[in-house]
Amino acid sequence: MIPSSIEALYELCGFARVACEADLVIALEVDGAGRASPVASSPPHDFSCFNLARSGVFDTKWSAIPVTANAFRLPTAVVHALPDMPVSLLFVPAPVEHAPQSGLLLLWTQPPSPAPLVEHVRLLASSIASTLASRREAVRQVAMRDQFNDLLESVPSGIVLFDGDGQSAMINERAAGLLACSPGFHRASELVAPMRALRERCDNHAELEAAYASQVRNVHYAAIQHWVLGDRTYEVDTHPVSGDDQHGRIWLFTDVTAELRIAAKLRGLAQSDPLTGLPNRRHFEERSAQILTAAGTAGRTVALLMVDVDHFKQINDTHGHPVGDAVLKAVARRCRDVLRDQDLFARFGGEEFIALLTLATSDETRVIAERLRGAIAETSVVVGDLSIGVTASIGAATDIPMNSAISGILEPLIAKADAALYRAKQGGRNCVIVADGPA
Amino acid sequence: MSCFASLHGRRTGAGKTPAILSHGFGTDQDAWSALRPWFEERFDVISFDLAGCGPEGAESYDFDRHGSMFGYADDLIEIIDELGVQNCVYVGHSMSSMIGAAAACARPELFATLVLIGASPRYLNDGAYVGGFDQDGLDELFKSMAANFQAWVAGFAPMVVGVDDGEAIADFSRTLFQMRPDVALNTSRTIFGSDMRDTARRVPTPVHLIQTASDVAVPLQVGKWLEATIPNATLDVIDASGHLPHMTAPEEVLRIFERRLTGLLS
Repeated sequence: MIPSSIEALYELCGFARVACEADLVIALEVDGAGRASPVASSPPHDFSCFNLARSGVFDTKWSAIPVTANAFRLPTAVVHALPDMPVSLLFVPAPVEHAPQSGLLLLWTQPPSPAPLVEHVRLLASSIASTLASRREAVRQVAMRDQFNDLLESVPSGIVLFDGDGQSAMINERAAGLLACSPGFHRASELVAPMRALRERCDNHAELEAAYASQVRNVHYAAIQHWVLGDRTYEVDTHPVSGDDQHGRIWLFTDVTAELRIAAKLRGLAQSDPLTGLPNRRHFEERSAQILTAAGTAGRTVALLMVDVDHFKQINDTHGHPVGDAVLKAVARRCRDVLRDQDLFARFGGEEFIALLTLATSDETRVIAERLRGAIAETSVVVGDLSIGVTASIGAATDIPMNSAISGILEPLIAKADAALYRAKQGGRNCVIVADGPA
Repeated sequence: MSCFASLHGRRTGAGKTPAILSHGFGTDQDAWSALRPWFEERFDVISFDLAGCGPEGAESYDFDRHGSMFGYADDLIEIIDELGVQNCVYVGHSMSSMIGAAAACARPELFATLVLIGASPRYLNDGAYVGGFDQDGLDELFKSMAANFQAWVAGFAPMVVGVDDGEAIADFSRTLFQMRPDVALNTSRTIFGSDMRDTARRVPTPVHLIQTASDVAVPLQVGKWLEATIPNATLDVIDASGHLPHMTAPEEVLRIFERRLTGLLS
């Protein structure tokens, strides 16, 4: 990209050279340290940068009259751009912000016959300065855009950026991959269909439609949603960004599949009992609230069962802890197998398990409790060469929860079931006791 | 800091006539070790490391200014001005050849004579002009430099040394490794992209060209082109091989110096 300001500088150099009958005219952008970038010249020449700090150019008080060149140390590149050794030179300072030593350098290889316009060349100074400044700004913007692009591609997210005018949009490579279109600039309207197609491919597309539909006209809308695309999940963050007008909006697509997997795994570890894989006591308490609330809403009965392995201490003492652990695992598996998926079954501690079920009537409680007891006692547990007969005692209690008092239900229910369990133990073990009536 | 100091300048020798020794790409001023005693007996010897070369060379290197051979020529002139010498004998190897020629064009009074070893004003072939390289070959070279500098040096060093001289190969590899890879890459782009044929056409100083009969970087045609083009030039093709004869065949090079330079001693 050649900014038009560069062309203007070439024209200014050309005009100055013809008007002053000079052999070479260079427009120089020079910083405070004397580092000079030749921006344009006449005749055109491909200059590299040089340093003018010790050239003498900036130690001279310039008037409108060219001076003899041999007092100056001119850069080799400048000398080579001339057909012969320079004899005279003139510098027209054109200071620019951040490049205070900028200006126009005119060189002659013959003593100049005073061209009528030489003394007026200084009038070009302000044009040169303003053109240098606008060229500098153009270069800065290109550099910023390049930098912005580098940044854009180094972010581990897909980015879709809609300009404030609502007309244009830009996407980076990751977003282009997701949207199946090319990275870079697009008309905003071109991206509408790919964005919609991506959303419609999501497993949770109905949920997303509902979330976004209500916000279609809201320019301030900001939300983070999970877009589930098969085995990948993207966290999609959209929020307004300041632009020329009100339509600036960014969409950030971040693949959070791995994070979610790790989070789920950690949550599972925190919630389950490592030996049996059942929910632990804390997780039982969290989950029970949902079941109680649902039952309360439906007006259904809940039953709480405490299951305690009989003579477990003896099994441990006789066969050792590894065998005791195997027995607990077997009991857990047998119970889980006879319960329904929606029933909550957890390890409550030690050899004690707890179940919370929703039932149509409290009469079913005993049936289910007996089914559990039978499943545990039916066959011996085989551990290596050992075959161990295992039984359990079960205490049960029922209630019909009221939604207004969910938080207070669990504790008395557990206490009642526990008391029933105590009676089952007293009653000879391997039996079921159901506490009387709802609490 | 002066330019001479920042480029690790050294000034030794018993003579009056200044002799400037300027090394080539991938070496540093130690490349002159074999020739230095001969110069120190006869001359006021000035040597330095080119920008980007020598220990911590990257500190002296300016990616913009040294993106052109003229930037190096400006450094050379600055050193000579700092030291206040004139009428120097300038000995340049490889890239320093055209650096010296460019400086002599800009400031003829500083140079009495130029001795250019393994000089090339343009490495790329251009119509009838044979430089020895084509663009595809150079692109390949830059690509392999950028991809793995270590591996590139391991292949480049023996090729440029051009003779089975383990010590010279080790020396050249050491100084190549001493360059920061990005500086080395930019420098080689500058060298291989340069076209200093106009400079050769206008050198005002007498020039003695020395080159070996077989040099992978500089075909014999290039030496002959320079001899024919530089207004006042001699060409000595020495009975040696490779691009670094001042390191691998110093006695051959000294024989030429004896013949070409001793008349200049004051």
